[in-house]
Amino acid sequence: MKKTLSKQFAAGRVLTAFLILFLGNACDKSLDLAELQPQARATTDNTGGTWKTYLLASGNELAVAQPQAVGSPAYQAELQALKTAQAQATGAQKAAARYWGAGAVLRWNEIARELAAQYNVPPNNNPDGTYPLPDAANPMLRPRFPFANPPYAARVFALLSVAQYDALVTTWNHKFKHNRPAPSKSDASIQSLLPASDLPSYPSEDAVVAAASREVLKFLFPGEVELLTQKADEHKNSRFWAGANVKSDVDAGEELGKLVAQKVIAFAKTDLMGKANAQVDFPKMKESATARGLNNLWSSQDIPARPPMLPFYGNVKTWNFDQKTRDALRPPAPPAMGTPEFEKDLNEMRDITKNRTREQFRIVSFWADGVGTYTPPGHWNRKAAELIHAGNLNELRAARVMALTNTAIMDAGVCCWDTKFYYLTQRPSQVDGSIKTATGLPNFPGYTSGHSTFSAAAATVLSYSFPDKRAELEAMAKQASDSRIFGAIHFRVDCEVGLRCGKQIAEYAVTRGKADGSGL
Amino acid sequence: MRHPFSSLSGLFVFLIAATLPLRAQTPTDGLMMSKGAFCAAAVYSGSQWKEYWEGTNFRSSPNLGTVSNQNIMLMGALGITDRLNAIVALPYVKTNASASYLAGQRGFQDVSVWLKYRVVKQAILSGTFSTFVTGGVSAPTTNYVADFLPLSIGMRSKTASARLIADYHHKSGLYVTAQAGYTRRSNVRIDRDSYLFDNRLYYTNEVQVPDMADGTARLGFRNARFQTDVWIDRFAGLSGDDIRYNEMPFLTNAMKATTLGWYGRYNIKDFSVTGGLSRVVAGRNVGQGTGFSVGVLYAFRVFGHGECRKPTGMAAEPEPEK
Repeated sequence: MKKTLSKQFAAGRVLTAFLILFLGNACDKSLDLAELQPQARATTDNTGGTWKTYLLASGNELAVAQPQAVGSPAYQAELQALKTAQAQATGAQKAAARYWGAGAVLRWNEIARELAAQYNVPPNNNPDGTYPLPDAANPMLRPRFPFANPPYAARVFALLSVAQYDALVTTWNHKFKHNRPAPSKSDASIQSLLPASDLPSYPSEDAVVAAASREVLKFLFPGEVELLTQKADEHKNSRFWAGANVKSDVDAGEELGKLVAQKVIAFAKTDLMGKANAQVDFPKMKESATARGLNNLWSSQDIPARPPMLPFYGNVKTWNFDQKTRDALRPPAPPAMGTPEFEKDLNEMRDITKNRTREQFRIVSFWADGVGTYTPPGHWNRKAAELIHAGNLNELRAARVMALTNTAIMDAGVCCWDTKFYYLTQRPSQVDGSIKTATGLPNFPGYTSGHSTFSAAAATVLSYSFPDKRAELEAMAKQASDSRIFGAIHFRVDCEVGLRCGKQIAEYAVTRGKADGSGL
Repeated sequence: MRHPFSSLSGLFVFLIAATLPLRAQTPTDGLMMSKGAFCAAAVYSGSQWKEYWEGTNFRSSPNLGTVSNQNIMLMGALGITDRLNAIVALPYVKTNASASYLAGQRGFQDVSVWLKYRVVKQAILSGTFSTFVTGGVSAPTTNYVADFLPLSIGMRSKTASARLIADYHHKSGLYVTAQAGYTRRSNVRIDRDSYLFDNRLYYTNEVQVPDMADGTARLGFRNARFQTDVWIDRFAGLSGDDIRYNEMPFLTNAMKATTLGWYGRYNIKDFSVTGGLSRVVAGRNVGQGTGFSVGVLYAFRVFGHGECRKPTGMAAEPEPEK
């Protein structure tokens, strides 16, 4: 009996030890997430108010009210109210102050990326084989509006960045006109939770970014009004909890941000995006290609056949050049089916289907940026945000990098879509059904690769802004481009030409950047 | 086979419960190998589904067609003592989606090791009542792609599981078995560094895979020559989100399923042949799989003495604890 008991204990101990051995490293399931921290900005760019704007005539186009003088009773009362707000701030509110303090442009870019990912879902088919259209008037009904696919997302980031940039140039113009010091400089008893800044505080750069971003994103994601309003309110209030702005700073920023957003939205309503999904005209597009002697045209491989993604996005207004330049930037036709060059690319697809390595699969997954992700433009916005934060750029410079990058990315998208629907070339799996992919087969023509064009454009502009990162950025773009070959969803020629075009397209944004008055 | 989305890792125990018709024993049944006896098994199983639950929405995807999973499981069970058994298993898995251009995956999946200990064995009500505890661990054996559901061969999570089993075997041969288990699943690293989970965007390549609970009840007949039973099983991810509208499943999904099955075994000398059928009848974030399995088992003595092909607990006559 005694022997049996001790055996039982021994067995129990073995079992326990066995489980602990394994559970040991599996127990902590919390995720290790990097968090951006507030930092002192390296420069103030006192002449930033003169930098070239995109949609406003200049940083002087929009006026703000004359602020109360520092010595005025009204301003002193505002300082008192600020002290009270700061004293009463809860732990959560102080955390919010630090969250937003990491960067207004960066935080709103992050919000846009998250919305892009949430809304990047193609509609499911109806029982009769048709596909429902997302409805802007009922954005929360499934399929939700918008379908934030890569071209849509490229435009989201471009409009958002342009609004932020034009609003901040205007803000800088007024800041250095009125030169109201930060509250902590006017009243020594106020200590900001955020690093001290020599930037004049009227109007608040945070409020202007919050208001402009909120309005533009409300226009682009009409189902998210509540969320965006709440975020902007928190952002503006965070300036009080941080002890960083008085109410009139924030109010002036709010007014200015709204005005700039109105201009941007008015532009967006006329940029031809509204006609980008004119599926009724798609047959004519195909006829035109046939008339130009093209054959073996692309068709949807989805079941049931799905209308192509935004066939007329190639006509949407570009930022850094006109439509004539777009036509000039369109690359020549790729090798036709049956030519030795085509057969070589086709055989590469067959070979990858058979011999795809684990490392190739990893690269495909890393850059896939497909359904339910922030898309390739979002991926490059994330990279831009990392570089901006690492470079400790002030809000104006951050917005400038984002605007240059995102206008180039959208220009790349427009040119790429123009090329895709001009040549209407097939994807590898349409040519040979035995070609198996490592990521979803996109529902639009192959030549040229969107990933390649977006990525080369982004890498080119970011290399101009962060020259010491050029090698890394170009390697990233090359890998993003290769990922589509490894995935067997693009022929090599689609990707190589896409990379070249993306670089050419982005040079127009770089040229603009060099001449925008920033001296950067 | 009733594995959700044909992906087995971490849910390995369910694969076994669903399809492994072991004459010897599994981590979830009421059987033991006698001291010194070893059972080697090779089981081929397949499952497929066309409909699945996207959250609670029951649907099909014409772009996937029929998603199928075939696997060959190699397994061994050793009687360390009459009361303590060790079991090891490794499946080779192959997946396919009939209508999709997405590449089917194949490869060795996760190796699992269990220890099974019989706590109680006593004569009661003209039969034998036994209880067991099982502890198990699993880990991936290859660098397969986890973030490719529903075609990944597994989820890459390391797991540790604990379960309790109660078995009553009447002298007529009729028996009932109930088991319940908890599986802890480690986070996994995927090849991309951002993903949506619970409608939020996470900037990391680390993904939380939900822990799970499961339970099974079996009713059947077994003696030294054959065994047959019907079973019902329920497993549930204990956290996690739903598959998003019209998107592919993801590792964070809370997969849940109720499955019905049949299992049979016939002994020929030291060999057994086994067969099983299963069907998912209710679920969430899983395919409505229909599965089958066939297997061959061979038992032999590696040490000790006595008849090895008759695992303890298999006898028609109750064997009261001495």
